[in-house]
Amino acid sequence: MSYKTGDLKVYWNRINYAFPILNDTISSECTAAEYEEIQQIIVGLGIQVRIRDLVLVHIEKYLRQRVIPPFWSKFMKIEEEIKGFQLFKSAVNDLYEAVSKFYDMLRQLTILNSSCGDNKPVFGEKNVILGFKQLVRATLLSQLPLNYQVIINHFYKVSFNVFDNEYENSDMGEDVMCSGCWNEYSDCNCAYIVKVFHDTNRKLMELNLLERLTGQVLTNFIQLRIESHIQKLCNGTFDVSHIAFLENWLDTTVMSWLTRIYCAGSSKPPPDDKNIQNAIEKFKQKLSYYLYHSYTKLRIDQLFNIIIDYPDSQPAVDDIKLCLEKTDLRATLCRKLQVALETRLLHHGVNTTDILTAYVSTIRALRHLDPSGVILDTVTKPVRSYLRNREDTVRSVVSSLTEDGAGSELAEELAKFAAETDGDSDKDEAWDEWNPDPVDADPKVNAADRKASDIISMLVNVYGSKELFVNEYRTLLADRLLAQSVINTEKEIRYLELLKLRFGESQLHFCEVMLKDISDSKRINALIQQDKEFEAANKFTSNAMILSAQFWPPFKDETLELPEEIKNHFKAYTKSYEALKGNRTLDWKPHLGNVNIEIEIGNKKLDLTVSPFNATLIMHFETKPEWSLDDLHQVMKVPVTILRRKITYWQSMGLISEKSSDIYVLVDDSDAGKANVATNQVQEMICEDDEAESVMASAHDQRERDLQVFWSYIFAMLTNLNSLPLDRIHQMLKMFAPGTECSLQELRQFLDTKVRTHQLVLQVGMYMLPKT
Amino acid sequence: MAQNINPHYASSSNPAKQNEDTIKLKDNHAVSKRLQKELMELMRCADKGISAFPESENLFKWIGTISGPQDTVYAGHKYKLSLEFPNSYPYAPPVVKFLTPCFHPNVDTCGLICLDILKDKWTALYDVRTVLLSIQSLLAEPNTQSPLNQQASYLWPNQTAYKKYLDEFYSKHKDS
Repeated sequence: MSYKTGDLKVYWNRINYAFPILNDTISSECTAAEYEEIQQIIVGLGIQVRIRDLVLVHIEKYLRQRVIPPFWSKFMKIEEEIKGFQLFKSAVNDLYEAVSKFYDMLRQLTILNSSCGDNKPVFGEKNVILGFKQLVRATLLSQLPLNYQVIINHFYKVSFNVFDNEYENSDMGEDVMCSGCWNEYSDCNCAYIVKVFHDTNRKLMELNLLERLTGQVLTNFIQLRIESHIQKLCNGTFDVSHIAFLENWLDTTVMSWLTRIYCAGSSKPPPDDKNIQNAIEKFKQKLSYYLYHSYTKLRIDQLFNIIIDYPDSQPAVDDIKLCLEKTDLRATLCRKLQVALETRLLHHGVNTTDILTAYVSTIRALRHLDPSGVILDTVTKPVRSYLRNREDTVRSVVSSLTEDGAGSELAEELAKFAAETDGDSDKDEAWDEWNPDPVDADPKVNAADRKASDIISMLVNVYGSKELFVNEYRTLLADRLLAQSVINTEKEIRYLELLKLRFGESQLHFCEVMLKDISDSKRINALIQQDKEFEAANKFTSNAMILSAQFWPPFKDETLELPEEIKNHFKAYTKSYEALKGNRTLDWKPHLGNVNIEIEIGNKKLDLTVSPFNATLIMHFETKPEWSLDDLHQVMKVPVTILRRKITYWQSMGLISEKSSDIYVLVDDSDAGKANVATNQVQEMICEDDEAESVMASAHDQRERDLQVFWSYIFAMLTNLNSLPLDRIHQMLKMFAPGTECSLQELRQFLDTKVRTHQLVLQVGMYMLPKT
Repeated sequence: MAQNINPHYASSSNPAKQNEDTIKLKDNHAVSKRLQKELMELMRCADKGISAFPESENLFKWIGTISGPQDTVYAGHKYKLSLEFPNSYPYAPPVVKFLTPCFHPNVDTCGLICLDILKDKWTALYDVRTVLLSIQSLLAEPNTQSPLNQQASYLWPNQTAYKKYLDEFYSKHKDS
């Protein structure tokens, strides 16, 4: 087959007439009938494939050069929202129009394509129209400018305001401004905005560009809205559950708005279009996850406050519990809470009792949040180790355990435990309710242990051993027993019984003996008072408390030399006691106890209860009105510094005054007395404060003593073995110094103090004795 | 020397030696306990000039330190010793040797000590503390009648010369 050149030219012109795009224009007057003819020519020449490919190349070029740049040129970085709204609208409109101009040509191209018969996909799509749309999108997105999101964001922001306003139009009713479009009501733009909005969305949808172009912006935007909504709703209130509210809000406001975007205005997705339904469904999943996520995050940030408010904040904890299942924020929760605890709780400015209160409510709240106890375990680790370093922790715990009255939650807890122990026999039966441990659980810890440990044992476990705890209780009990002259042993016995349930009989055996000592003392006292011999020597009534030295905690050693007549009285008492109880004797602790004294001076008469110390002091003034501190020190065998401190009590009572430096005289002045009596009350309180300090060696002191025992071992070790590293010393102590436990850390601290006092030398990790 | 004999093996003529293996099996725990107690006692008393401690986790091997008694030629010197306890302890004496070379009439060049209570005069009533104290006093009062170190024995009557030699010897060997 051959063609003349002239023919070919004619044919080419015809083809150009049908596809003006080949000359880079669009407008074509080619009718369907005319095209029929041209199609014939093309098929006749057998060049349909080439023509089609040529046309496609030109379409692409045209789009790239003529259509897309003007579209993007509208995407400027603009501050005004409404301008952005307009720009986006016009951009989409222009694009839509430009694209729709192609449709005539595309129809022809479809015919051409079908005649090709090679079934080659057009830009990966199965027909020309879809291929074209794909081409438009591809070209469009290939030229994406940097700040394209700005006006899209404006566009949706403006429209969302209108919608949000539609659902919440109430309280801003009297405002002259429409809260939807921020115009005055008289020329409210809302209706226009809604119309434009729907129109634009429909066009984008038709172009298949909605998700590509606006999806990211839309998601960001909605997420922002969700966040700010949550912030607005949930700040500072922990006593209401917000989850239902939030879900409802998401469903009504956000989702219906989204549906309208996708469905061009109607609030329900078209039932036949699976694509749109899927898209909306997917969007909803994404958003509701985000909702949970940001809500949980907010709550986690507030968790410390929530815990402090617990149990008032239980709804909030419930919310978090629910959300944790739907999000993966467990680890974040642990980390953040830990940090919050550390910054807000674990520093020197916080009272131990406050830390304990917070610790207890942390235990409670987290128990509720995560019944498996894993979070609790992780989060409170630093709290525990911090509490371990505080000296007064045990004391605080013990005293709040045994305090009665309101506010002592621990005491309630203790009583509760007693009630609970009766009824938990068949807990293991619920095998069908078994749940595996959470993934972050420590596999080394038994799940049952973790669950079983309650608040008190958590507190006790701060120290890892009950022993220290029980010791401190013993000290506290001793203090209390000695401080009271009339002892309410019944209450103490009740607490002891409760504690016994928890710590076991053997641990608290000592305390039992102490309480028994008290009641025995009463009896023995009564017997001794009846003793004839003792009565003869008796000048005043006395009650002795007879304590079994073996069972009471060690006392702080203080010396006090009593006046002769008191000593004689004590001797008589001892003699009478020895007669009563063969083979036993008494060792007096003169600095403990109370003395009731009656002082008559001038026309003044005072009835006081004071410490033996103060009583002795004033008795010495009875015999001699003027004393120097040194002389007092001689007779009383008490350090001068303590004497000076104690004598202020009598100075404040107006009975003694300092004549000159360190010389004290008895005030025998009745006038001066009057003024001072009024202040007695106050002063006595001060004095009592003074006396309130414990007479027992504290657990800390006892610990020091234990460590001192270690020292002789360590000294011997280093004398003979020259130098040893820390862990070796620790190991040796564990082997050869039985009875007392000492952690590696504690040992290090101890050795470090020895290094500081030059009793040890630390060289390249080895401890040794200094060379003499 | 009744207390020198383990009551369990009283029938045997030389119990300490012959029955050592049997005792080892049965009484190891008892020996450990005794040594543990001795260690505690030693820590509690904290005598000046003597000290001892197990060398490692093995309770049967100790290192001891004695300082030379005051007002003698040995004053200011420090000697390390090794103490090894047999399984039949305390019915057999520990093997005690000087680790720090010691110039002394009754100590040989290998550190072996000639002291009656470590040999035939041993009784179960002795313990680480008394052994160390005995050795300390042996430093001050050597038995020149049965010397292990002839040179020291000859030199001993001349205390000034002895001290001079001893100090040199000590400073040469103390760190070995």
